[in-house]
Amino acid sequence: MRDKLLIVEDLWKFIDGKPILRGVAFEINEGETKVILGPSGAGKSTLLRCINLLVMPDKGKIIFDGEDILGKHDIHSVRSKIGFVFQHFNLFSHMTALENVMFGLIKVKKMSKNEAEKKAKGALAAVGITEELWDKYPAQLSGGQQQRVAIARALAMEPKLILFDEPTSALDPELIWEVLNVMERLAKARMTMIVVTHEIGFAMRVADEVMFLDNGVILEKGAPEQVILNPRNERVKRFMDRMKYVYSIGKGNVY
Amino acid sequence: MISELLYIISKYGPLLLEGLKTTFIITLISYFIGFVGGISIAITRTFLHKALKVFAHIYVELFRGTPMLVQLFFVYYALPEMGIRFDPILSSIIAIGLNSAAYQSEYIRSALSSIPYAEIEAAYSIGLTRFGAMLYIALPQAVRIAIPTLTNEAIYLFKYSSIAYFVTAPELMYMGKLVATQTFLYVEVYTVLAIIYVIFSIVLSGIARYIEKKLQIPGYIV
Repeated sequence: MRDKLLIVEDLWKFIDGKPILRGVAFEINEGETKVILGPSGAGKSTLLRCINLLVMPDKGKIIFDGEDILGKHDIHSVRSKIGFVFQHFNLFSHMTALENVMFGLIKVKKMSKNEAEKKAKGALAAVGITEELWDKYPAQLSGGQQQRVAIARALAMEPKLILFDEPTSALDPELIWEVLNVMERLAKARMTMIVVTHEIGFAMRVADEVMFLDNGVILEKGAPEQVILNPRNERVKRFMDRMKYVYSIGKGNVY
Repeated sequence: MISELLYIISKYGPLLLEGLKTTFIITLISYFIGFVGGISIAITRTFLHKALKVFAHIYVELFRGTPMLVQLFFVYYALPEMGIRFDPILSSIIAIGLNSAAYQSEYIRSALSSIPYAEIEAAYSIGLTRFGAMLYIALPQAVRIAIPTLTNEAIYLFKYSSIAYFVTAPELMYMGKLVATQTFLYVEVYTVLAIIYVIFSIVLSGIARYIEKKLQIPGYIV
């Protein structure tokens, strides 16, 4: 059972008395890529934030790497093992690209500056951020470059799991490609990832499993071909038809 | 008029410079107390425990809500009755510094609250503590944002350190008054004082602009 990296059981979250997550349960194996699809307001971001404890769930169980993390006091060490990539990159705006990546290594992993710099440069190279960009500040980088730095920042921490919260939603199409490309390479290298996205093409190509979340409930999960192309659930089918229309895949019936 | 001005500068220049030196000492030290105190209060009110927050809030209201002169008189005249005695300059530094801490804390607090929560969340996501995120992510950006208002405060203190005159601290205003009563050249003496205050206020804002430029984040528009 060691290869079950994350087990989520009956997860509930209420915000202002409103249920956002209603008994979500799933598992992810080491090296797997899971894609979560679903409409806005479905609770996708909240679910990701619950997994690394940026948001505390109200009920349920999260077992990460064999440990029940909801009972743990040291949430910081849990978070340092789980990378998080945000929709709006959230780079530290007063630090250069290189400093952004080094920061966690020095302050959390307590590495020496030299060690951190070496490691950070390696991580930046891995996401295709070349040397001339290392000393640029976030405001001097394109959205795609910023997001790749953000991925490097997560990657450098050597997390066991990386959570992506709509990493390409704030980017234009050409930049979407460069970010998805990096993510696809990560997936191929067997990094364990949970990706919230609307990129169904990416899901088709990369995901081991797709889950459809709506109203705080997982309506359907399964292989990408099945959930995206042949959903059983009516709600999922309607959503996918519209997605297929938008992304011009097959012949989507638009109601 | 001109000859009187020159007379004052040549005859009493050293005395006024002595006063200016004291003014600088009072301003710089009380500003530093205000800056350190202001940051601590702002952090307490933004990030720390509830009970401490209330305490910090009361401090700010108390020192903002009473005239600086009352605070100065309290330190210089009232505290000795409780057996705590400071000389005029130190009394001024304490009163002005504590007062400035209340104001500077508000400038930094408002700057702190303008830092996007997203960046704080990103710091949490890589394992930073609340304190770490505040210290390394929020504060460095907040201080940059607050530089113009903090400069304002420095210029304000430079001028308002003249209230130290009321407790006989030998600063610029005190020396000016001394010269004026000796020479009866009130217009000329206070003209010289005004010029000195203006010149150094301009110098201060120049220094602040330099610091602001130095600390500016490339490509980033506040």
